[in-house]
Amino acid sequence: MGVGTAEQVIASSIVTASPAARAALRVRLAGLLYVTPAVLWVLVFFFAPVLIMAGYSFLPLDANGELGSVGTGDYRAFFAQGAYLGALWNSIVTTAIVVACSSLLAYPFAYGIARLVAPRFQRIALAAAILPFWTSYVVRSYAWLLALSPTGVINYTLRSLRLIDHPLILAYNPHATELGFIHFFIMLNTLTIYANLVQINPRYALAAQDLGASKWWGFLTVTLPLSVPGIAVGAFLTIVLCIGDYVTPQILGGFRELLLPQLIMMQIQRQLDLPMASAMSLILTVVVAMAYLAMQRWLKMARL
Amino acid sequence: MMSGFTRNCGSAIAYGYMALCYAFIFLPVAVLVLFSFQGGDLPVPPFNGPSLRWYAAAFADSRLVDGFGNSLVVALLSSALSVVTGFLAAYGMARHEFPGKPALQAVIILPLAVSYLLVGMGLLVAASASGFRPGLWIVVIGHVVINMPLAFAICHAQLGEHQRKIELAARDLGASTIRVLLTITVPIIAPALIAAFCLCFTLSWDEFIIAFLNTRFDVTLPVVIWSLLRGGLNPVTNAAGSFIFLFSVVLIVAVEALLLRKRRS
Amino acid sequence: MTARVHHADRVFARLLLPAVALGALTLGMSAAEAAGTLNVLTWCDHEDPALLHPFETANDVKVNFKDIDSTAAALAVLKQSKPGDWDVLVIDQTDTGRLSKLGVLEPLAAKDYPFASIPATIADPKLTSVDGTLYTVPEKFGYNTVAYNKSMVDPAAMTDINAPWDPKYKGRVAVYDYYVPEIEYAAIALGKDPATLGDGDLAAVKDKLVALKQNAAMVGDVTTVQQALATGAVDMLVGGGEWVTAGLSKDQPNLDYMIPHQGGVRWQQGLGVFATSKEKPLAVKFIQYILSPDGQAKLATSSCYWGMPANSQASLTPAQKTILRWDDQAKFVKASHPYLQMTPEFDKKLQALWASVLQSK
Repeated sequence: MGVGTAEQVIASSIVTASPAARAALRVRLAGLLYVTPAVLWVLVFFFAPVLIMAGYSFLPLDANGELGSVGTGDYRAFFAQGAYLGALWNSIVTTAIVVACSSLLAYPFAYGIARLVAPRFQRIALAAAILPFWTSYVVRSYAWLLALSPTGVINYTLRSLRLIDHPLILAYNPHATELGFIHFFIMLNTLTIYANLVQINPRYALAAQDLGASKWWGFLTVTLPLSVPGIAVGAFLTIVLCIGDYVTPQILGGFRELLLPQLIMMQIQRQLDLPMASAMSLILTVVVAMAYLAMQRWLKMARL
Repeated sequence: MMSGFTRNCGSAIAYGYMALCYAFIFLPVAVLVLFSFQGGDLPVPPFNGPSLRWYAAAFADSRLVDGFGNSLVVALLSSALSVVTGFLAAYGMARHEFPGKPALQAVIILPLAVSYLLVGMGLLVAASASGFRPGLWIVVIGHVVINMPLAFAICHAQLGEHQRKIELAARDLGASTIRVLLTITVPIIAPALIAAFCLCFTLSWDEFIIAFLNTRFDVTLPVVIWSLLRGGLNPVTNAAGSFIFLFSVVLIVAVEALLLRKRRS
Repeated sequence: MTARVHHADRVFARLLLPAVALGALTLGMSAAEAAGTLNVLTWCDHEDPALLHPFETANDVKVNFKDIDSTAAALAVLKQSKPGDWDVLVIDQTDTGRLSKLGVLEPLAAKDYPFASIPATIADPKLTSVDGTLYTVPEKFGYNTVAYNKSMVDPAAMTDINAPWDPKYKGRVAVYDYYVPEIEYAAIALGKDPATLGDGDLAAVKDKLVALKQNAAMVGDVTTVQQALATGAVDMLVGGGEWVTAGLSKDQPNLDYMIPHQGGVRWQQGLGVFATSKEKPLAVKFIQYILSPDGQAKLATSSCYWGMPANSQASLTPAQKTILRWDDQAKFVKASHPYLQMTPEFDKKLQALWASVLQSK
């Protein structure tokens, strides 16, 4: 529909020259005027920098650490080195685990808030479920470290209960990173799934039950399919935010398996290799774009 | 009878699951806040407090106080810019037809679908290529890039046909476009604007990677806390983290109580 | 309805407009404030208000600092800056030669600093000067050897540099994430003299470090490894020293460090002035202050990490001296190797080596 409108607008502005048409043209120009600041901002401060960055990624550093001649050296180096590819793979696997776990855990939680909690308490129940979102993001990973450490609360409790003799090593491994991520993204997914569930009339599922379906069957065939957009929005936001995160793996991961953002920051902070860091960031963005294309169908159904 | 029993059982499981979820979500916050009142030098059990000494230390730390001020300025400025530009764009999109509209909408929305790392890296590379010094200005710019699309989406969803009729009525009565915009449209969707402002504020307030990559010594609070973390195990970090948490919660509750509650009554 | 709408509208206007005004004003002010400042590129131990405040009030300046955790990080910051942005640099002193060759450092006058009370091995011209010209002043030193928890491992076993590779300690070892001392430590463990380390040794060093990582529970930066050792997540830290244990000695008296009989690695920080600085007299004053007995005591006991002061006149308390093992220093210095002096190319190779160690499974 959008393309059709644009064509009509252009056609009409060329063909007609009556005062009425000129007035209409003015209205259209006014529309452009309102949109201009936002569009310019994104073009100047997002598209242009990313383009410059893309340019940098094709200027691999020479032996003296200066920008070299144009070439795809950094990309070839990325795909030739096991260490770099390994980091990309770690990032993808970690993100996949986090998306799956946080959607699966958040769905029943959001469903409980939307269907079991009395309507007038729902806002409070939801607000409570996302309250820790307002602890600082850097501090949250640190707080998990305190909880997971050998003298931390979890080990302390288990030892006080005499369930274990020796403290468990819980932090500084990829699972601790995943745990930190899942904690954050359960909150986010609960929010998006809840927002979707409250738009679905519970009567649909009841109607299915009236028609002889069991409660479970009604849920599986009516409510669940209708809530896919909510799940998809949450999952996509999780992918975007999780795959580009540096803080959580840096604090909780113990450098056992590096993720791509950690490698990117290493390029910037230690190796002074902005072109390589640029190439890596773009590769990361391509992965996110592929995830978007795969999920596009469901994302379009959701009203953000 | 039987079905009543299974139903009770089912809800017991459901409520139990929800309780577990809440416990999981609140565990790190509880640990953080509890050990901010630690009396000893390490924020781990056993707890020997309560003591306010680490709060005193946090407030006496000029880095934390400066970071707090910087974060506040960056968040207020970037949220205000995000909401104004986002709202204007949403208004233009909702009320006018013009060529290339879908493409322009896609341009505005796109930063929502990329990671903050890309935005921060882009600004870092562009600034270093064009000789601009890192600084809070760049952080404000970056935060508008990530937040304006959100403000746009929220406003766009709220600008429906219903308000359009009121606007047309006002215009028929002779009001100018600007006047209609300011006296009719803005007040009607004020709740959306406020919600957008609050969301942008919290996201900017908490953003780390763009600020980390694009600042030097005037840094935002998350970056200060990051360097505190590098200074070792320290209950000051707990105190600072707990304070930010309480500050944010009080702010959210105040906005909710002041603005939205009034509106519902 | 209109009344309510207008109310919300007014509140909103009250929030939004002052926000923009205040924001613009404050950012403008902070830009204008820039006069009368000293910009320091430093490791995290020069950031305590207690250390900086006396200097700031005495000279009526503001000390700005940016955190770095290696010379490479300092060079990365410089690359993004303009000449004149920075005044003072804190670096590993072995990089003095490298940086002065890049033309980054300003020559200094030895008479401005208390070299009389700095031990000769620390004031070694090889670390401070190039061709007889002084470029950096030593300020603080310590060790990257092995730190451990006395109540969990036998100190006698730690005297062998190969102890952290022992399968007995699998999962009980942490490794400090700094490539220079770790590579050097592995070289010593292989029986090599770090001073003669060359391209031919790198394969063996890498294998040694990969083996260490496989025996380790974690690799981490200053905080992470400190936290891991302090909370009992690990029992020993390769690359650790007084900088990990001394600051925690009150709460964690079980933590200690030693130099194995094969030797250890010694870190040493120095202060330099940037050649492009516009505040050179003030920068010299800052170095003099840090080298003064009072500045040295505060630097040695910094909240980020402790270390031995270069100036033996540092006004430390007897208790602080005991924690720093003041009386063992002559012995320790003798048993330890300073950081490697590298060409930029060799440095790049070592960084690549370390990156592949970090990435190994």
